[in-house]
Amino acid sequence: MAKMRSDRLKIVFVLCLAFVSIGGQHFESKVAQLLRDESEDIKCFVEVKDLTCFWEEERNSLPDQYTFTYSYENKIKDCVVSSLSLLASNKTVFFCKLPKTPFFTTLDVKVSRDRRMLYSRSLNAENFMFLDPPRNLTVLSSGKEGQLNVSWLPPLLKYMDDSMIYEVRYAEEGSNMGKVEVIKVSTMLVLLGLQSDTRYKVWVRVKPDGVAYKGYWSAWTEPVLGVTQPSELDPLIMLLVLFIGLILCLLSMTVILSHQKFLLKKLWPDIPTPERKFPGLFTVYKGDFKEWMSQNNSSMWGRSVHVFTEELPSPLEVLSEVSLSSHGTSQREERKPVEEDEEKESERSDSGLPDRWREPPQAHWLMEQLRTLQENPQPLSQSLLPQSHDTYVTLNQNSQGDGVREVDDVFEETLPLQTLFTTAGTPSLNTSHSDLGSLQQSSGSGRLSSQSSFEYPNHTWPPKGPGYAYMAVADSGVSMDYSPMSSSRIVELGRHRMYTNDYKNEIFLHKWPLSGEHTKSGSDFCMGPIW
Amino acid sequence: MIQAGHKTVRKTVGLFAVLLMVLEWTRPGLSSPLRPICDLRVLDHFIKEAWDAEAAMRACKDACSIATNFTVPLTRVDFDVWEAMNIEEKAQEVQSGLHVLNEAIGSLQASNQTDVLQSHVDASISNIASIRQVLRSVSIPEYVPPASGGEDEETQKVSSISELFQVHSNFLRGKVRHLLASAPVCKQGVS
Repeated sequence: MAKMRSDRLKIVFVLCLAFVSIGGQHFESKVAQLLRDESEDIKCFVEVKDLTCFWEEERNSLPDQYTFTYSYENKIKDCVVSSLSLLASNKTVFFCKLPKTPFFTTLDVKVSRDRRMLYSRSLNAENFMFLDPPRNLTVLSSGKEGQLNVSWLPPLLKYMDDSMIYEVRYAEEGSNMGKVEVIKVSTMLVLLGLQSDTRYKVWVRVKPDGVAYKGYWSAWTEPVLGVTQPSELDPLIMLLVLFIGLILCLLSMTVILSHQKFLLKKLWPDIPTPERKFPGLFTVYKGDFKEWMSQNNSSMWGRSVHVFTEELPSPLEVLSEVSLSSHGTSQREERKPVEEDEEKESERSDSGLPDRWREPPQAHWLMEQLRTLQENPQPLSQSLLPQSHDTYVTLNQNSQGDGVREVDDVFEETLPLQTLFTTAGTPSLNTSHSDLGSLQQSSGSGRLSSQSSFEYPNHTWPPKGPGYAYMAVADSGVSMDYSPMSSSRIVELGRHRMYTNDYKNEIFLHKWPLSGEHTKSGSDFCMGPIW
Repeated sequence: MIQAGHKTVRKTVGLFAVLLMVLEWTRPGLSSPLRPICDLRVLDHFIKEAWDAEAAMRACKDACSIATNFTVPLTRVDFDVWEAMNIEEKAQEVQSGLHVLNEAIGSLQASNQTDVLQSHVDASISNIASIRQVLRSVSIPEYVPPASGGEDEETQKVSSISELFQVHSNFLRGKVRHLLASAPVCKQGVS
């Protein structure tokens, strides 16, 4: 019996100690917190039912030196001062705990030492509640995704259960960014909008709601971990998604198959072939252009075409004017040597066009003229030939009606080519066809014009002047660089005027006699494949 | 003839009885039972208004000063003492305090004051009346004036309007609220 009693006493004693220590822990932590946050000299708070006021002083003083008095409703009372050493911050505070604290009335607190008042403060006790943190915090995952059920118990305090306000803080484990939810009176909360299958830490703290009682926020509870449910894929939704996906696939397949050809044409366009423009070239003559040409326009070709190699036109320089008469005669005279020279010329040219161009005989003749000019400098009235060794092609306009008619149909793609080979006899440079490529390129640009070339009343060669025109033909021959021509230089020499550039896309309809007349301007030449 | 007369008399009596019963049931009177208002949020509303009045009066110190003294109730609540009291004692303390407060604030209605002060005075008077209704609804005994003449012990003197409203606020938050919270009628319903 005695043994049992002693055991019981021991248990009770241990429990009391534990309670006191816990309470003391709370008390100390509260004192420490207010010491940091509160700015008043006398810091007061109510724990449970009693008001405690404390202040910080030097270490050397003793509690007995201080006198603590408080008064209310015309009554004055004393309080015994005690000291407390805070281990955490290594500070000493003096405090007094009011027995039977009067609430809802104004208290005047005074601290004096050696009959000299140190601090004083006037306060209502019910406005300085410092509650303990909530108890029994539990976090459970609710049945739904992304939700957690949080519940707790209010701190042990009478009269205030219905006037407490709580703050719940939650954050992902390991993260510092937390969210806060405020809840009044109720001691449970459902956290929404959380990530599934994630661990969360939850804290709670409490404060009086401020209507009847006021006070400080309590300390946070110890964090409690909760795990949200993993996300579940609803099987019905999965099936629906699969089904819809299947239907969409079938539909797209049907569309693709029904418009197979159209789509192929759009995605993988055919490389254009010139077959259309050259009827029979590839089918009958198996790509032999000479044969095809000879068959088609045998009348136009006065010479053997074989001398012409496939070359690109190259930059052209008009150096001097060439008179028609000398042209005609010299051309006829030099026809033969020209032919030979043409070959050399063509070999020497550095054109880049892959195939198609054949120099007309005029080009070579002109080159020859130029060369002679270079060797024997002659007055400007002499013939002017492009100095450049580059071959160039002149498109002769049939001075007769054919040419005119042909020139009329500017937009006909076949025109340039026909024009090219139209005039057989005339060595003169006739129409210069502006770049056929540009015709194609410049959509809707109107008619090609070699305006410049037709402004020669005297039909003399344009003089070589400071201005010169040259054309650079691009690789495909489709685009022509007329940059110098765009400067629109008009070179005048005597009666001859040459518009080196004025390349408006209009082919002038000038009738020039085939023989004796020469036109020229070596200004614009265009070459390019014509499809 | 006589039988018909009997019938009419009976009918009349019956109607009269029914009428009496109906009147008895709908009789407007002081003792008609009210539905108990146990929700403290009702009182909290009045307390919030008292806070506002106290803050307003604290702000207007110069304009709201007055020469005379006010007799106001004591507002102190010692929990140990309070818990030891029974409901009747608490009720008496609260009801007498409300009475004294009502008289003190009511004395301001007569005097010419600023509009702000007047509005707060009117609101406070109205609130005290409503609180009395609330206490009545939870069967708290009514105020009984003390038999013996003279001042009540549970009073004090204040010299300013701001102190008056401070007392008013403290009284509502303290004694009145705790009385309502501990009303037996409300506790029965909860338990």
